[in-house]
Amino acid sequence: MTSGKVSVLDIKGLTKTYGAVTAVDNVDLHIDHGEILGLIGPNGSGKSTFFDCSTGLATPDSGSVSLEGSDITNWSLNRIAREGRMLRSFQKTVVFKKLDVEENLVIAGQMFTFPSVLSTFSVGKRSRMRIEGLRKHARELIELTGLGPVAHMAAGNLSGGQQKLIQFASMLMPDPRLIMLDEPMAGINPKLVERVIDTIRYANREMGVSFLIIEHNIDVVTSLCSRAIVLDQGRKLCEGTPAEVIANKQVREAYLGG
Amino acid sequence: MNNTPLSTTASDPKRRNLRAPIVIALAVVALGAPMVLGTYAVHAMVIALIFLLPAHGLNLLVGYTGMLSLAQAAFFGLGAYASALMSIHLGTSFPVNMLAAIALACVIAVPLGIPALRLRDTSFVMCTLGFVIIGQAISKNWISVTRGDMGLNNIDKPTVGLAGYSWTASNPVEAYYLALVLAAFATWVFWLVVRSPAGRNLVAIRENETLAESLGIPTWNYRLAAFVIAAGFGGAGGSLYVHYISVASPLMFQTLYTTTMLIIVLGGGAGSITGVIFGSFLFVALSEGLRIAPELRMIAYGLSLLILVFRFPQGFAPFLMRIWDWAGGVDKKEGSA
Amino acid sequence: MYFLLEQILNGVSSGAVYAIVAVGMTMIFGVMRAINFAHGEYYMIGTFGGWYATSALGLPYPAAILFGVAVTIVIAYVIGKFVMQRMIGAPVEASVVATLGVSLVLQNTAILIFGGSYKFFSAGYIEPVFFGDVGIAQQRLLIILVCILVFLGLELMVGFTRMGKTIRAVSQNIEACEVVGIDVKKVVMTTFILGTALAGFSGILTAPVNVSVYGGMGEIITFKTLPIIVMGGLGNVRGTLAAAMILGIAESLVAGHFGLQYRDSVGFITLILMLLWRPHGLFSSRARF
Repeated sequence: MTSGKVSVLDIKGLTKTYGAVTAVDNVDLHIDHGEILGLIGPNGSGKSTFFDCSTGLATPDSGSVSLEGSDITNWSLNRIAREGRMLRSFQKTVVFKKLDVEENLVIAGQMFTFPSVLSTFSVGKRSRMRIEGLRKHARELIELTGLGPVAHMAAGNLSGGQQKLIQFASMLMPDPRLIMLDEPMAGINPKLVERVIDTIRYANREMGVSFLIIEHNIDVVTSLCSRAIVLDQGRKLCEGTPAEVIANKQVREAYLGG
Repeated sequence: MNNTPLSTTASDPKRRNLRAPIVIALAVVALGAPMVLGTYAVHAMVIALIFLLPAHGLNLLVGYTGMLSLAQAAFFGLGAYASALMSIHLGTSFPVNMLAAIALACVIAVPLGIPALRLRDTSFVMCTLGFVIIGQAISKNWISVTRGDMGLNNIDKPTVGLAGYSWTASNPVEAYYLALVLAAFATWVFWLVVRSPAGRNLVAIRENETLAESLGIPTWNYRLAAFVIAAGFGGAGGSLYVHYISVASPLMFQTLYTTTMLIIVLGGGAGSITGVIFGSFLFVALSEGLRIAPELRMIAYGLSLLILVFRFPQGFAPFLMRIWDWAGGVDKKEGSA
Repeated sequence: MYFLLEQILNGVSSGAVYAIVAVGMTMIFGVMRAINFAHGEYYMIGTFGGWYATSALGLPYPAAILFGVAVTIVIAYVIGKFVMQRMIGAPVEASVVATLGVSLVLQNTAILIFGGSYKFFSAGYIEPVFFGDVGIAQQRLLIILVCILVFLGLELMVGFTRMGKTIRAVSQNIEACEVVGIDVKKVVMTTFILGTALAGFSGILTAPVNVSVYGGMGEIITFKTLPIIVMGGLGNVRGTLAAAMILGIAESLVAGHFGLQYRDSVGFITLILMLLWRPHGLFSSRARF
């Protein structure tokens, strides 16, 4: 959009306190176009709070969040997703359990296809065409993520790893510019880890999606991310390539000493 | 249960598809019932058809959006009083009154829904119950308008006019056909709403509101929309009811009306259109039809509520689905989730 | 001035009645997260028991109190066994529907047995006592006194007895209690019987003041206690006492200044206004007991 170097996401001085605890303390972070940024840190280091504050699920006490140059600090979760095309996952995998995989994906795409809440009440030809388009797109993504054989099963009956893939495919439905993943590999079958990594790479290269990934598995971070940021006790501890970060003495102390 | 499809589409070629005959048979029964049944039974059927309207609204809230609202009875009463007052003071005809009742219920639902929908669970239930109690207080105490406990009497029987020709549903049989047409129309409208992309969003909210939010669905707007649409269905039901029984009184805000709507929806099967239609006939028509002491009927009602909760928590909808699958020749390998 | 004082005193005495009924309901909510739409019916049953004891059995009022409470406990035991114990962990809808069902059954069974007409309750201590120019029925003073004793008793029970502590534990975290092996079913049953017995007790205490006894009387009480327990912060005993007093006095003032007919909607109007202001109740529901 702009010729100058504007980051996809630019967060400045983000702070959030709960009572006497400062969960996130004056954190700056930016994600460049096409980048896969890793966010790591020991448990309780404020990663999840940072995620919630930058995606509208929680309100930060101070600091600003801007998406492609426009300020979205006080936007709600749904508005950030809908208007910003910036989507997030949840640590505890969530899918619409009683609905089948395809329906999960169609729901994910609806608000990006229909121009207003009112227009979603229409059952006219135009509305049906839009839904047909969404179904087609959903089937492509289902094939891409290898969910084809289970496309018409209730999402709640599938394994944890498959549910992660559904969630991931759902986030790809709206042609997003930025996806924020909260521990995408936690608790999934090692065989599926490869598939998730491949899909993230594919989305990054072929669809131009930027990523911010919270991940504990350092191998995953090393193989996917070009840059990583370490949080500890709500503060940014260091920043650099995954190799640099791992080599950092403070990081080792934070993990081992924590 | 893992990796079992919800329903297999493989049908048995040896068995004939019975769905079409069943639908035709039901339609014949619906159209022909008043010719066979006595006046009292027809009256019971009319009441069932009328209650189907607010029940659809309640189903939209409980079954599709996942919000237990007790306010349907308030909108039912509001629609009834609005229609009655228009009929008495302005002399307007039934279709005009009904449209006005729907519009008024929808308009009032906005300022009531905005604060109420900020609440969750028990507080939301209590707040919506409060609307009914306040509605009752207004109908009892605004005597210059509502005539208090005496109520508004002698409201015109529903008259439908078209191009100089007019027809009045003056007896239960005629009222039955009018109610049948209106209930069928309301069911069609309801079906359109839940089948629309918006209906899918409502289900998403019911299943997981935070996930729905994270996928860009403005859940607040949808919950308010559902509350308003449900109010419209409630208002429509109240309008038809008052023109049929020709009396509007504070009794309309009694718990019994709320309970009736709840039992139709939860007994029939929240989230299922056919279940709710079935529920309205089973619970309203049958109980009205049983000519027993009102106390015994209420006890039977209470016991059936308990049986529903403990024995059929999903209502009768799963049972109906099984019949439907059987009729279509679909063999289910295993029970659905 | 005397008029106002008299109204406030009357308000406190109705508040005391509401408090005794509501505290049971809120404790039941605490242990099972279920709204009990039938709670007022136990008030009705207690009253009917007392009325039957005085008018048909010819028992004196104190014996009628015992009789009414005993009847309430027996019925509550049956309902507790067959309905309430099964509601543990059930969704909100299920508890609403089931207790509405119980309410219909109890109310209409009473009407079926005793008829739908109003009965006259003639026992109790209704002679007024005067403090200067302010008069109040002895019975009302008795109610206020009983209310104070009930709340002191509950505080002591929750603070010092094993059962009381268990009730508190279950209201705070039912899953943890199941894990450490507390018999949740038994706790629910005890709380339910205690709560409904208080409702029945309150019914007989109020009967001499209300005078009329009829099958539908429980519904009105349910609709008064519901806003109280929500305002008091569901499950919060002290909050319930405060909310009940506020409602009792507010009702009495509204009845005195605007007319009796507005009295019954005060509760829900106050509740809705309060929810607009503080969606989580006047008193935190986290600080149970």
